[in-house]
Amino acid sequence: MQRVIYAIDQLNKTIGHAFAWCIIIVTFGTCYEVFVRYVLDDPTSWAFDLSYLMYGAVFYMAGAYTLSRGGHVRADMFYRLWSDRTQASVELALYVVFFFPGILALVYAGWGYGVESLRLREVSVNSPAGMPIWPLKMMIPIGAGLMVLQGLAEVLRCAQCLRDGQWTARMHDVEELENQILAEAARKRAAEGAPA
Amino acid sequence: MSDPGVALAMLGILVFAIMIGFPVAFTLMALGVGFGYYAYFQAGTAFFDSRVFYLLTQNTFTVLNNDALVSIPLFLLMGYLVERANILDSLFRSLQIALKGVPASLAVATLATCALFATATGIVGAVVTLMGMLAFPQMVKAGYDTRLAAGVVCAGGCLGILIPPSIMLIVYGAMAGLSVVKLYAAAIIPGFLLAGMYVIYVVGVGIFQPHRAPRLPKGEGDVPLGTVILMLAKSFFPLAMLILSVLGAIMFGLATPTEAAAVGALGAMLLAAGYRTLTWKAMRESVFLTARTSAMVCWLFVGSATFASVFAYLGGNVMIKDFVLGMNLSPITFLLLSQAIIFVLGWPLEWTEIIIIFVPIFLPMLPHFGIDPILFGILVAINLQTAFLSPPMAMAAYYLKGVSPPSVLLTQIFSGCMPFVYIVLVTMAMLYVFPQISLWLPNALYGN
Repeated sequence: MQRVIYAIDQLNKTIGHAFAWCIIIVTFGTCYEVFVRYVLDDPTSWAFDLSYLMYGAVFYMAGAYTLSRGGHVRADMFYRLWSDRTQASVELALYVVFFFPGILALVYAGWGYGVESLRLREVSVNSPAGMPIWPLKMMIPIGAGLMVLQGLAEVLRCAQCLRDGQWTARMHDVEELENQILAEAARKRAAEGAPA
Repeated sequence: MSDPGVALAMLGILVFAIMIGFPVAFTLMALGVGFGYYAYFQAGTAFFDSRVFYLLTQNTFTVLNNDALVSIPLFLLMGYLVERANILDSLFRSLQIALKGVPASLAVATLATCALFATATGIVGAVVTLMGMLAFPQMVKAGYDTRLAAGVVCAGGCLGILIPPSIMLIVYGAMAGLSVVKLYAAAIIPGFLLAGMYVIYVVGVGIFQPHRAPRLPKGEGDVPLGTVILMLAKSFFPLAMLILSVLGAIMFGLATPTEAAAVGALGAMLLAAGYRTLTWKAMRESVFLTARTSAMVCWLFVGSATFASVFAYLGGNVMIKDFVLGMNLSPITFLLLSQAIIFVLGWPLEWTEIIIIFVPIFLPMLPHFGIDPILFGILVAINLQTAFLSPPMAMAAYYLKGVSPPSVLLTQIFSGCMPFVYIVLVTMAMLYVFPQISLWLPNALYGN
C-alpha cells in the first residue's frame, strides 16, 4: 500500500514541479512584452496568449500536486482536534461523497471538451499569432485524471491510518518558510528540553 | 421541496462540509455537480447529457479569462523570492538605528519593517515568524512589555493582506468583477492610515507608559548620519523602490497588474541576486510554492463558479436577497451586520474561503443599500486583519508562539494583540464615516 501511495505522490510531484516552471516563462515572457511595448513601441502578438496558456497549464497540472501536499485550503478548526483515526474515517467518507463525483464529472466532461478542441486543432482567437489552445484544453481531463489518481492515494492513506492508528508522514517536499521556521524552532526546543 | 428550498439545503450542506474540514474547492465542485444534475434534469435525456457537465468544463476553462488572476502567481513568486532574499535582518537593523530618536523606537522600527516586508510578500506567516525570531527577543531584552512586543509583531505582520499589492484584493476584485487597479488605489490610504494608527499607539505607549517601552540608553547604537544613510540605501531603499515601482506602474496606468507583477517578480530576482541570495534552492522553493498556491486559488474559483451558477439557477440568491431586503435594514445596520458576519467567519475560515464563498452573497445587495463595492472590499480587507489577531483563530499569534521561548504565554500574545484589534475597529469606523479616505484616490486618478 505504502508503495502505491508513494508512487502516485512521486508522479504528481514530478509533474507538478515540471509544470511549475511555466511561471518563470510567464514572468520572462511578460517582462519581454513590457520591454518591447514600452521601450521599443513594438508589442508582440503572442505574449498575452503565452501568459494565459502557461498559467493555465500550471493551474490544471499542479492541482494534483497541490492535493498531494495537502495544499487545498480547508477549515481545520474542528478537524485538528480529532484523533488520527477519527480524522481518517471522516476524510475517507468525505472523499467518496465530496471528491470523486465532482472530479470524475470533470474527467468525463473535460475529455469531450478537449477531444473536440483537438479535432479542430483549435487556436487562440485573442491574437493573430494563432497559438494552439487545444493542448491546454486537453490538460483539463488529464489534470483532473491526475487528481482522481491522487484522490485514490489519499483514500489509501486514510485506510492506512485506520489500520495503523496514526498518519504516515508524507514525502518530503519544499515547505512554506513559516513551516520551516516553526519546525526548526520546535526541534530546537525539544533538543533543549530533552536533557533537563 | 421547492427549488429555493433545495438551494438552501445546498448551502447548509456546504457549511457543514466546510466545518468538518474537507478541502473547500472540491466540496463546492461536488455540490455544484450533484445539485446541478438535479437542477438541470430533463426527463428523457441520457444520463450523461446533463448541462451540468458542460457548465463544469466551461467554468474550468473560463477561469483563465479572468485577466487579474494571472497576476496572482507573479505576485506570489515575487513574495516568495523576497522572503528568501535574507534582507529582513539588515532592514530591521537599519530602520532601528534610523528611528532611534523616536519613543518606543524598537517597536516603531518593527512595525515599519513588518509593513514594508509584508507589503512585498503579501503573506502573513513568514513575516510573523521571521520577525518573531528577530525583533521580538530584542524588544523583550530591551525591557519592553512582552504583550506589547507580541502585539506589534503580529499586527505589523498582517498589514500585507491590506496594503497593495495585496493578493486578497485581486481575489476580491476577480470575484466582484471590479477593477483591481481601483481597489489598489482605494486601499493605499486606508492601509497607511492603519499602519499610522499602530505607530501612533506604540509611540503613545512609549511616551505615557515608558516602563512598557523603555527608551534605549543614551549613546547606545550612536552612528554617524552618513553610515545610517548608507545602511538604509543598502537595505531599505531597494525593497521600497521595488514596491513603489510595481505600485506606481499600476496606479498611473503605465502597466496592467499582470505586467507590473511580472516586472516585480523579475525585480525580486534581481534584488535577491544583488544580495547574493538567489540560490537554486530559493528559486526552486519559490517556484514550487507559487505553483501550489496558485493552483489552490484557481481550483477554488472553479468550485465556486460551479456552485454559484447552480445556486443562482435554483433561486438561492434571490431568496437570500429577498430575505435580507425584507428585514428593512437601514444601510448602516446592513453594513454593520455584514461586517460582523465576516468578522465571525474569520474565526474558523481563512480569507480565501470568506472572499470566495460569502462575499458574493453580500455583493448583489450592495446597490440596494447604496454601498460602494470598492469601499466594502476595503472594509472586508481591514476586517480580516482581526481574524489573524484575535482568538480563537489568531494565526499570527500562533505563529509567534511557535517561535518564541516557552516562557511567553499564548494568553500574553492574545492580550497584546487586543489593542491592535481595537485600532482596526476604530479604523473601520473612520472609513465608514469618511468614505473619502478610501475613495478619494481612485476617484481622483480614474474619475467615477
